[in-house]
Amino acid sequence: MAKYIAKRILLAIVSIWIITMITFFAMNAIPGGPFNKEKATDPAVIKALEERYNLDKPLGEQYTLYMNNLLHGDWGVSLKTGRAIWPDMTSKFSVSAKLGGRAAIIAIIIGIILGAIAALTRNKLPDRLIIFFTTLGTAMPSFVLATLLLLVFCLKLGWFPVFSSSDPNYTLPVIALSVYPMAYITRLTKTSMLDALNQDYVRTARAKGVSKVKVIFLHALRNALIPVITYVGPMVAYILTGSMVVENIFTIGGLGSTFVTSITNRDYTTIMAVTIFLAILMVIANLLTDIVYKMVDPRIKLD
Amino acid sequence: MKKKLIAVLLVASMAASLVACGNKNAGTTTTDTAAEQAPAEATAVDTDTTTLRLNLASEPDYLDPALNSAVDGACLAVNSFVGLYTYDENNNLVPALADGEPEMSEDGLTYTIKLIESKWSNGEALTANDFVYSWNRAVAEETAADYAYMFAPIATNADGTLKVEATDDYTLKVELNAPCAYFYDLLAFPTFMPVYQADVEAANPDGTQPGAWAQEPGFVSNGAFTLKEWKHNESMVYEKNPNFYRADDVKLEKLEFMLSADDTAIYAAYNSGDIDFADTVPNDEIQSLLNSPEFHVIDTLGTYYVGFNVNSDLFKDLTADQASKMRKALSLLIDRQYIVDTVGQTGQVPADTFIPDGMADGNGGVFEADDFGYYDAKETGAGKVEEAKSLLEECGYTFESDGNGGYSISPALEVTYMTNSGTGHEAIAQCIQQDWALVGIKVNIETEDWNVFLEDRKAGKFDIAREGWIADFNDPINMLEMWLSNGGNNDMQLGKGSSSAAPDWKAYDEKIQEIYKTTDFAARVDLMREAEDMLMDTNAVVPIYFYNDIYLQKPNVTGIYTSLNQNKYFMYAEKSAN
Repeated sequence: MAKYIAKRILLAIVSIWIITMITFFAMNAIPGGPFNKEKATDPAVIKALEERYNLDKPLGEQYTLYMNNLLHGDWGVSLKTGRAIWPDMTSKFSVSAKLGGRAAIIAIIIGIILGAIAALTRNKLPDRLIIFFTTLGTAMPSFVLATLLLLVFCLKLGWFPVFSSSDPNYTLPVIALSVYPMAYITRLTKTSMLDALNQDYVRTARAKGVSKVKVIFLHALRNALIPVITYVGPMVAYILTGSMVVENIFTIGGLGSTFVTSITNRDYTTIMAVTIFLAILMVIANLLTDIVYKMVDPRIKLD
Repeated sequence: MKKKLIAVLLVASMAASLVACGNKNAGTTTTDTAAEQAPAEATAVDTDTTTLRLNLASEPDYLDPALNSAVDGACLAVNSFVGLYTYDENNNLVPALADGEPEMSEDGLTYTIKLIESKWSNGEALTANDFVYSWNRAVAEETAADYAYMFAPIATNADGTLKVEATDDYTLKVELNAPCAYFYDLLAFPTFMPVYQADVEAANPDGTQPGAWAQEPGFVSNGAFTLKEWKHNESMVYEKNPNFYRADDVKLEKLEFMLSADDTAIYAAYNSGDIDFADTVPNDEIQSLLNSPEFHVIDTLGTYYVGFNVNSDLFKDLTADQASKMRKALSLLIDRQYIVDTVGQTGQVPADTFIPDGMADGNGGVFEADDFGYYDAKETGAGKVEEAKSLLEECGYTFESDGNGGYSISPALEVTYMTNSGTGHEAIAQCIQQDWALVGIKVNIETEDWNVFLEDRKAGKFDIAREGWIADFNDPINMLEMWLSNGGNNDMQLGKGSSSAAPDWKAYDEKIQEIYKTTDFAARVDLMREAEDMLMDTNAVVPIYFYNDIYLQKPNVTGIYTSLNQNKYFMYAEKSAN
């Protein structure tokens, strides 16, 4: 196991390094630049800024400089605002993670419960209802859902403020973030649970006289979770880094909108930082997924 | 049974969504009732008369007045810093930290400005030396400020520093290169506001982080409010600065900014009573708000225009004179009134000059006389088809009627109109597409990402592009000097290329230099009129309408005012309990 993890970490470092290269050269290849403004900036000012941020050097050298700084823990400053990237990125990530973490937990717990219920009440009313709403949940784009929540709960019912500087509302954004993964997990759980319920070992267990509850939780559900885990790993990494749509509608300063605006602004240093950060999270999530596989199903071999 | 159940559920969900839509409309048309019906939280907000809650835009780039070059940043700057001059609620320039009118030498080149005794927010005295430091810092190359060029009228020493000195603690002497008709406008401009030297230098030890001192709450300033709290991309809280020179006139204790650029969220926050002032209004809601007393439209100094690249291949085989006639024909075909009515929607004035209506002339008057225009902007469009046709015929085109009131043009003419994405810009492009189709011209609309659009426009990689300019200060020179051959904003490439169809632009460059040097402000007005004539003669710049500015403000708020260059002053606002 330890050997396996060491190997995976090594591989992860290589893939992150490749990602930094692709991102760096791709973002420099697209037209546009960080200092383009509607009212033209004096060429002398642009020259001074390019010198300050090493943008006047050849691309290869810029990349080496960037990676060298990064390995020394220096994430640089945003070209757009001059702010240091690391403290900004971590504080935004903590906001996104707070929301995303809650949304992920809700999605996983409720998703699995609903999925199990749907599988056990197959073709009966609870199953029908659950499948109807999860279909709705997967089909509705997040901007529609978020806007709808805003209109109903903030404007019509007035349960939450749309904006508050002292007491921002996190309930609605958590709901908006969790609906899609929850619906998806419900459907996944239902399908694989149905599959598991028809397996020989489940029938054997029942025939042996093992109680129904024990069969469902210990035998069927446990095996049904493998595909769910496959989905949950990357989903958690994704949801933790935030969603631009949900952040914009609920005025939340998370990482999701930073990522998108950094690209439209050609804020090179921020694009690099957020991409690398997201890549690291993804790699960790995938690694954890593999380890959890092993825990849930000892038959799986990790190597 | 199954099908029935699904049908029932579908109907139920549709009904639910209809109810939701109904809410939206109700919220739109009756803001007041919505606020009244709102629960305890929103009502509590309304009665808090010491805090003004507002939205200008999303996260500002710079709070440092010298480094800022954005409109929202300028609004934050004028409420947290103050310079020698400021605008009052009637848009008059009035002394702020200057003690009465400065003394000007007879040649108009030297100003001696007396300062009132005022303090920084930390209680320390603010002296003339603070201005000497701040201005020199703003122009220093290592600061790399976008607006450093605003200091161009001030004379410089051999080492690049400004000829500005503090003759004593409260006297500032400024030497100019030439008399400057808009000097007081500059003194009210954020770039000219003082910054606190000790903090600025402490936060920037190696010279590479000039803006670092104003990146977290608690920095020293000298304006009506100081920043207390900043949740990035969420909110900012400013508190009243008791050391502000007019602190007694500031009735508000706090300003709370919602940092958002999302139309839906801003409008919802306004309707729910969570903010008292919204600078952004969703385009779709404008029609329904036009008659609301909470909807405000104010004048601003700026022109929305269409620009032709004078070196474009469109004019390849034409003389400069013909090229201008061709552009004039296209300009006459644009139905400006229709664009204003259907796209602008907020009563913008169709533009018949490049310099906007209402701009001062630098000699105590208004630059454009009311009845003056290079064409009748209310009449352009379908009524000008014959005139446009004959102009185009002079350029070698012929027309054939298609029998339905339209024409086909020969040789076929297909042009590309470039714009950035945005509902309004694209809608205007479509209006122009239809207008030019009247004489058989085919228009392809090309939409580019904002950043790329700026770059291509600057580099002249286009035939026709949408343009706009909001004046930095209230003097026509701001909108004339941009057309200098070497001007960074000369997107129309006047004087830049070698195309024989491009107008000879040397005379224009000389005219602007003459304006710079002239000491007679009355003669300067005439020179500027001549410069605008030369610009409009090229027809490369096709004014569409003069910008105005819209915002939403609750009826219990009074005293917010906006300068003509869109700086919003919130510090003297008052909020009543109902």
